[in-house]
Amino acid sequence: MSSSPLPTGVSAAGFSAALAAFRSALGEQGVLDTDQDRRTYIDPYAFGDGLDHESSAILAPAEVAEVQEAVRIANRFGVALWPISRGKNYGYGAAAPVRRGDVILDLSRMNRILDVDEKQANCLIEPGVSFFDLFDHLWKEEIPLWMSVPGNSWGSVVGNALDRGIGYTPLGDNCEAICGLEVVMPDGELVRTGMAAVGEGKTWRNYKYGYGPAWDQMFMQSNLGIVTKAGLWLQPEPEMTAAVEIAFPEFDDAGWAIDILCDLRRRDIIQHNVVFGSPVRAASVLTQRAEWYEGEGALPEEAERAIMERFGLGWWNAKVSFFGPEFQVEGSMQLMRDLFEERLGKELEFRTWRKGEPYDASARGVPTTVGLQSVNWYGGRGGHLSFAPVMPQDGAEVLAYAKRVKDIYREIGQDYYATFTIGRRHINNVSLILYDRDDPASTGRADQLFNRLVVEAAKEGYAEYRGHIDYMDTIAATYDYNDNALLRLNDKVKAALDPANIIAPGRNGIGRRG
Amino acid sequence: MAFRKSLVGLGAALVLLGACSDEGSDAGGSAAAPAMPTQIEAVTFGLNSDVAGERLYGRECAYCHVGRNTGTTMLGKRLPEGTPAQLHERTDLAADYVKIVVRNGMVNMPPLSRAEVSDEELEQIARWLAKEPAQ
Repeated sequence: MSSSPLPTGVSAAGFSAALAAFRSALGEQGVLDTDQDRRTYIDPYAFGDGLDHESSAILAPAEVAEVQEAVRIANRFGVALWPISRGKNYGYGAAAPVRRGDVILDLSRMNRILDVDEKQANCLIEPGVSFFDLFDHLWKEEIPLWMSVPGNSWGSVVGNALDRGIGYTPLGDNCEAICGLEVVMPDGELVRTGMAAVGEGKTWRNYKYGYGPAWDQMFMQSNLGIVTKAGLWLQPEPEMTAAVEIAFPEFDDAGWAIDILCDLRRRDIIQHNVVFGSPVRAASVLTQRAEWYEGEGALPEEAERAIMERFGLGWWNAKVSFFGPEFQVEGSMQLMRDLFEERLGKELEFRTWRKGEPYDASARGVPTTVGLQSVNWYGGRGGHLSFAPVMPQDGAEVLAYAKRVKDIYREIGQDYYATFTIGRRHINNVSLILYDRDDPASTGRADQLFNRLVVEAAKEGYAEYRGHIDYMDTIAATYDYNDNALLRLNDKVKAALDPANIIAPGRNGIGRRG
Repeated sequence: MAFRKSLVGLGAALVLLGACSDEGSDAGGSAAAPAMPTQIEAVTFGLNSDVAGERLYGRECAYCHVGRNTGTTMLGKRLPEGTPAQLHERTDLAADYVKIVVRNGMVNMPPLSRAEVSDEELEQIARWLAKEPAQ
């Protein structure tokens, strides 16, 4: 006997009839509705049991036509669908819907790599393709193309790009590597964007914009359609790479170091997103908190210094890589030496790789799940949440903000864990919040800290670029120009395209009705 | 050989420095540590295997449970000394146990759904890990 909640606004009889219709369209394998099935989709990092975001069932189509049919049936029965690519959006709610009882539409079974164009450095993939799948394919077929991989590579390449996730090699703004989408609209119609709309899509992956308005961005972090195929640009294998880890010993070094690194990034001398992280970042991957400190409150400074000493870290630690022909990479290495060695009083040690050598020494993006280890910091069943506002590329401003945030962590009794991610023209200051999900005191601190950080950032005019399902409205509210005119626009578009509010109600604060 | 030198100098910490680091190589690791596959070897584990269970284990499990990855690291801390942290090196795994853990999760391991790994695929992985003949 299932203990499932019902989708909002749907009766038990109506839901039962909807499930029968879904089964007839998708087959037995395409409808997962046992209690165990539903449990596997609960956010593993939820505060407590996560039942406040449990689903009523899961649909797992294997073909585009099945997605279209599922959407039509959902409209007929008024059942809202929460589409996920692979559902590994950890730290943001994973696979779980904003609204309890919505039906998850899981595209994991649509995991085909439809084409890789070696010469033109692009591919066409389905949303169920993971970073590991794509890497394995390129590796097995010996295709000399490299890919951008995020910190947690378990997820979907397409899903990560659609949520504006990033990697740390060239083309690492994953949403910008997308070139042309195939989308099932909220009424079940199939649309292709950009050049994909022309004939069979001969130039689908060559030019992003097509003719007239370009809609790819409309389907990112959105609930206006379900992406079923995406063109994606890849990086041709370079002749040489060089990578260096730089340890900056003092907290205040962030000011000057970020200014230099941002300048190199703006000039495209550094061609990738750079991470600049604090000691707990490394310590939480390698160790547990109890090895350093067992007391109440935030980790004391002595413990932070002990971490730095044991692992040879600085207060901030950056990794920078260069990719290209030998003369270019060696020139960049020289520039880095000129900029940093005298200031730091030590030599930079580069790890270099040349084409033909084993890839282990290269700066190639290799998928990994190592970062997930950090949730074990406090022990128990761990989780993480992050607040990552977009900030200007100004070292002094960033440093001042970081100091305020560090004080707030200390006040709340949470261990400070921050990274600055340096993008092309912005910085993301990621405040990572680790917790034990079964300890109410720990999750209470996490919630309190998140809400404090939203307010603190908004005071400075900074807002988050991506949202956890528990905080989507909170974040949407900070986009407040002209009495939240942007949110009203989003809701108007939503109402026009999806009048029954069938696709992901409440995603990013859009379509809250019902 | 600057690469080796720097790894020896800084120890394993830098190998795992960043949550987003692409490093996982054992090159230059301390002599006492058991040999671990490199990150690329872990990611491509079983890729060309003729044995379906091994190939599926490589696809669905190896990214955490082979090499210096999350599953291996967490199990390494929890398991009694002498028990290998990489699942495919274990000799004490029962197929039913593997299936229960995969579907229910364990501590920090999230459960895997039937859409991600079908019951048939899980059966093959579990039997391979339990060193049982394939069905």
